[in-house]
Amino acid sequence: MSLRRAIQLISLALFLFFLIVASTSFGSYLPVDSFLQLDPTHFMGTLVSARYFSLSFLTAILVLLITLVLGRIFCGYICPLGTTLDGTDKIFCPSHEKRPRLGNLRPIKYYIIAFLFGAAVLGVSLIFIAAPLSLITRFYGLVVYPVFALFADGILSIIQPLADRFGISSLVFAQIKTPRFATQFFILVFFAAIFASARFSPRFWCRYLCPSGALLALVSRKPLLRRRVTEDCTDCGKCVESCPMGAIPEDPCLTLHEECIVCRTCEKVCPVDAVAFTSEVPGQPSHGVEFSQTRRRFIASGLTGAVTAAISLTGLKAVSNQGALGQVADPRLIRPPGALPEKEFLSRCVRCGECMAACPTNTLQPIWFQAGFIGLFSPALNMRRGPCDPECIRCGEVCPTNAITNLLKNERIWAKLGTAVILRHACLAWEHQKKCLVCDEVCPFDAVVFKDEPEHEVPVPHVIEDRCAGCGYCEYFCPVQNQAAIVVTPMGALRQSRGSYEEEAKRQGLKLVLRPKDEYGLPESEEKDTRGPAPGFTE
Amino acid sequence: MNRRDFLRYHLQGAFALAAGSTGLLLPKESMAVGEPDIVVVEGAPGAATRAALNLLGGMGQFVKPGDRVLIKPNMSFSHPPESATNTHPEVVRELAVMCKEAGAAKVLILDNPLASAKRCLERSGIYDTCNPIDDCTVAMITSSKHFKRVDIPKATDMTSNEVMKEVLKSDVLIAAPVAKSHAAAGVSLSMKGMMGLIRKRRAMHWRYDLDTSIVDLCTLLKADLAVIDASRVLSTNGPGGPGKVLHEKKIIVSKDMVAADACAVSMFEWYGRRFKPRQVGHILEAHKRGLGRMDVENLTIKTMTL
Ligand code: SF4
Repeated sequence: MSLRRAIQLISLALFLFFLIVASTSFGSYLPVDSFLQLDPTHFMGTLVSARYFSLSFLTAILVLLITLVLGRIFCGYICPLGTTLDGTDKIFCPSHEKRPRLGNLRPIKYYIIAFLFGAAVLGVSLIFIAAPLSLITRFYGLVVYPVFALFADGILSIIQPLADRFGISSLVFAQIKTPRFATQFFILVFFAAIFASARFSPRFWCRYLCPSGALLALVSRKPLLRRRVTEDCTDCGKCVESCPMGAIPEDPCLTLHEECIVCRTCEKVCPVDAVAFTSEVPGQPSHGVEFSQTRRRFIASGLTGAVTAAISLTGLKAVSNQGALGQVADPRLIRPPGALPEKEFLSRCVRCGECMAACPTNTLQPIWFQAGFIGLFSPALNMRRGPCDPECIRCGEVCPTNAITNLLKNERIWAKLGTAVILRHACLAWEHQKKCLVCDEVCPFDAVVFKDEPEHEVPVPHVIEDRCAGCGYCEYFCPVQNQAAIVVTPMGALRQSRGSYEEEAKRQGLKLVLRPKDEYGLPESEEKDTRGPAPGFTE
Repeated sequence: MNRRDFLRYHLQGAFALAAGSTGLLLPKESMAVGEPDIVVVEGAPGAATRAALNLLGGMGQFVKPGDRVLIKPNMSFSHPPESATNTHPEVVRELAVMCKEAGAAKVLILDNPLASAKRCLERSGIYDTCNPIDDCTVAMITSSKHFKRVDIPKATDMTSNEVMKEVLKSDVLIAAPVAKSHAAAGVSLSMKGMMGLIRKRRAMHWRYDLDTSIVDLCTLLKADLAVIDASRVLSTNGPGGPGKVLHEKKIIVSKDMVAADACAVSMFEWYGRRFKPRQVGHILEAHKRGLGRMDVENLTIKTMTL
């Protein structure tokens, strides 16, 4: 195995390792979002669309600087999407002669990045369509990981009876949770198309479409260390054929450096050792073809991006101000705890899906169009799938762009997600006179109380709004099928871009307490009004 | 016929069950003369548990060497012991240790949580206290693969549900609930606690009548021994609290779940008042259907203070 392969595999392994770790409690200690931080499209896109700069973007800047010196080594060695494609290309890519001939598609990637920038200038982030790290994280996190978990749990079920026999009790009841995700099918089709495009050329995506590739290409037109060919070259054309990026034109002495990912295949295949990656100048011209005729299309793409953004801003669901009049938002759209105000949130979220993969209760799901076109694949809670654990801060920890604030532990419970509302017409107690109190039983904030009401045989539930954090335990556990009889609505959700959640919540008079210790065991002497109705007892 | 066979029998779809084989026996008939029906001991949780069981005739009556024992405590809330929503870890530990002393091959302490399983195990204190005991496993069971559909032949309402496979495998079932109020069922004691061993509990609220289905369930999961931890009693706002906690320091044990539950109801104050066992729907129904006895005034109760 070559050094490059080794680096690629280590990098991919590290990427997957971080993705898995993100969904465990160790996620807090490791920089699990570091790969996402490397993507120059994330950095540039978020910088422009959200007008936001964070120190963590320095890594992406570093990548750009390194590219200036060493060329696109990020694409050739680090990018997990590139490595994945190298793997799938082996399966899907036909040999050189059998590939259909394509025209010059290279500029497309520049058009794509221009399009994304055009939109970003208007504050609309569309980078999720094409940013490679966002795409590959979504692919592994939301499609591959659940399948693996399913298999792993299947294997576990097979060995469990054996574990029981041999008394390995830690294994007997172990279970691997299989997460489930919406929009999977789309991701799958998208990736199937990318994988299949190897029919036309290896690394089709990287050559023609990748916006990060385009950004790196812009700074790697003349890297310090670059491919140089000596006079020994016999013009055999072997390197032209074997270059996965098609970075060597007809004349093998020339190089399209901006296309070269420094895989050094040419160096290896050259029968006369005429190729070297060096910084000395062997007195030979080495730079490639210009692409000036593309400038006009480049500008046109940028404008198209801006127009697309403008159109989406006039879409029915476009956000202007939080809670403003005339605002059409999905009545059940609940964003993760600490999510920025909707507009900022959408301009920052790169839809990598890291938060969803990391979410321990699997309540975080990618959405389709509930938040309009520009909200595609952004995370929202599905409380029927799982509640939002009021002590968990994982989504904020793993979010690479801080679209979800990295909340401090003590701030977390103040990040109110919304308020529960009882749908009395569906409620077992209110409507069907059944003895049900599940919502009260499970509410971690003690925000549901059961009271005797005239004309009701059984005690019926009420929500105390300022104790309710919108965590969704009630909605999750409500025994009413499909549509729960108690649901969390975005009413009263706290979403701020700065300042303390705790202060704001207290200012609003919220009483969000997770049954703290001093609330336990009211002293027996205390003449608290306990002589009230005794729910559940008959007279 | 032991529990394992009993349940397998139903699994195979056999409904007809020889009368009196198990389940329906009233405690008096099955008990050696001189032994009390109910024992109540006041003292530190662990010591009182041991003393109470000894007064009842010792763990050896229930657990035979080589048995697999399943203990069902309350540990489905991520609250510390003071909250009185979970069984006291010392009570569970003492039970587990006594089972081991009686020769149990394996002791399983299982529940199905209402909050993060990890945190329930941690905060209830039961994992740290009991898991280190040899051959003793404390675990939360949620995955459907650990449950199996079982018919409930003596049911009048809920005729089937999914029961933890572990229950079907074990020879002895011990109910070890904490004493607490329950806004829908009145109290949550040994009978109500059996809901922690099944998967489709939601249906008990929406499809069936809660009281009736609790009794239905207990015809199937009839504990061999009920140990009610009343070291603290959550007298109001149960099952989740926070509510008024009475520091009663008592442990109630009986072979009859219904009698133990009835005893706990009549013994303590609930919502600042006194209630009769018949004022709790599922206790009344269990009595009527012959699952056990709620007429505690006619039973022999032995009390002791340590
Ligand atoms: S909110 Fe989630 S999907 Fe969006 S950028 Fe953050 S981690 Fe990725």
